Amino acid sequence: MKRNKYDLKKICAGVFGFCLIYGILIILIAWKQIQASQIGRGAVYGFVLLMVILAGYMMHLLQCDKTGKPSKGLYLIHTVEKYQFLIEQLVSRDFKIKYKRSVLGVFWSFLNPLLMMVVQYMVFSNLMRFQQDHYSIYLLTGIVMFSGFNDCCNQALRAIIGNASLITKVYVPKYIYPITKVLSASINLVLSMVPLLLVTLIYGLGNADHLYLTWAVLLIPIALVLLIIFTIGMGFLLSSLMVFFHDVEFLWGVLSTMWMYATPIIYPISILEGADNLLSKVTLKVIRVNPLYHYIEFMRSIIISGCSPALREYVICAAWSFGMLAFGAFVFKKTQDKFILYI
Amino acid sequence: MIQVQDVSMRFKMSNDKITSIKELVTQTLRGKVQYNEFWALHDVNFEVKKGEVIGIIGRNGAGKSTILKIISGIMKPTTGNVVRYGNIVPMLELGSGFDYDLTGRENIFLNGAILGYSKEFLYEKYDEILAFSELGDFIHMPIRNYSSGMLMRLAFSIATVVNPEILIVDEILSVGDENFQEKSHARMLELMSGGTTVLFVSHSLKQIREMCNRVVWLDGGTVRMFDDVETVCDAYKL
Repeated sequence: MKRNKYDLKKICAGVFGFCLIYGILIILIAWKQIQASQIGRGAVYGFVLLMVILAGYMMHLLQCDKTGKPSKGLYLIHTVEKYQFLIEQLVSRDFKIKYKRSVLGVFWSFLNPLLMMVVQYMVFSNLMRFQQDHYSIYLLTGIVMFSGFNDCCNQALRAIIGNASLITKVYVPKYIYPITKVLSASINLVLSMVPLLLVTLIYGLGNADHLYLTWAVLLIPIALVLLIIFTIGMGFLLSSLMVFFHDVEFLWGVLSTMWMYATPIIYPISILEGADNLLSKVTLKVIRVNPLYHYIEFMRSIIISGCSPALREYVICAAWSFGMLAFGAFVFKKTQDKFILYI
Repeated sequence: MIQVQDVSMRFKMSNDKITSIKELVTQTLRGKVQYNEFWALHDVNFEVKKGEVIGIIGRNGAGKSTILKIISGIMKPTTGNVVRYGNIVPMLELGSGFDYDLTGRENIFLNGAILGYSKEFLYEKYDEILAFSELGDFIHMPIRNYSSGMLMRLAFSIATVVNPEILIVDEILSVGDENFQEKSHARMLELMSGGTTVLFVSHSLKQIREMCNRVVWLDGGTVRMFDDVETVCDAYKL
């Protein structure tokens, strides 16, 4: 079979170049916002450090390639190379199927979050009044992020048992299935950024409080990528549990609702901070460790405050993402050989 | 080409298959989780050389399909291992990767990707697949509207467009109408004579005699006999 469709040097150069340009672009264009936020100079140091690590790792990979030493990174690249076409096909299948028989098609990806926001906004801005600036945007950001996450998880949940007929008949690495499910569902998440930004823009025009989009929106991809990595980890975990216990499907329904209420989406976190009773304090503690709270706040500070989140937030979000990915992948790897006996 | 070394496969069967947490907890508490062990394969050894056509025969439940799944890499054996050189195209069931909402054309690419073909290869061979399947303009229709014969024709055409190094076949030689059956039969013979290593399960001794060089006779999960086609077939008949 053809081996070197990918030229390793080109990939390394490409990835490195992309990160470099993207980083410099952010720092240059959004310098004012970065300086205004709590990171300030730290951003530059952090960026340089990251690039040095990246460059070092790529040198290591090239070295491994030359000497033929096995390494995790190389293995990953070769797997992606080998299964790129399959991943493409599976993702495009899931995405096509989703809107196959609907009249508006892909347009639903834009329409759905908008309609959701209208409903929730009407309910919550009239029924309960929260002290929160730019409440509608606050709400919409939360809804878009959480429903994106929830959607991905629900898709990934059935990734293994839904493809049972394939898994028992053809050998394909099984981790492909949850990954493609999450990726195809996350196309929606990415697309729903368009209505989110559009609404923010329009809202900003007609609002006296000055809510403008700033160049901080360049940071949105980082937030999305971190959330998607976290979700892939969840997908691994859920899909492998689902094979052994079909209860997980129902349990997850309850759990995700709980998770939604434990995340400040419709209410501002400030209503808990002021409160004095034990329950509020416990809830506040829960919220602080809740990874989705951090992802959503990450997004909110980009869109509403128009500046980069604090450096600490980057670290927390990245730690959750990669931690979850590692944990999910670990569980998946441990159990995957038994899948075929249970599906 | 393929070495099957001391392969054993054990299935654990609990009296009721436990698929919910509640059941697991209650059954474990009652001490009722009993597993019946069942060895589908026991110390199976054989070796296939390049270009050979190997038939696998045996009664129902002898472990034929299990050994094919293990060789294709779908299942991992409990003990022992399988060494294989070359790319494998398993044809355990035709069209298992089809998605019924997609058109025939889209399914060619999806199914091709699942079988491990490359993008360039599929674009190049697309016309050939279409011609072989005789689907014509139906290829642009969602395949849920296809008849079962059309589905099988499409699946067969996709699966056999490559010249794989190892082909694993589980009784699929008769698909479609008489005309297509003949055509597919001819295509199989062409594949087998083209230097491909073939593993082939069938209940039809006639087919086995016609196509195979050597035959593995599985009985109750062990190899009862592994020898030339005539010797084994004659012994099996008795």
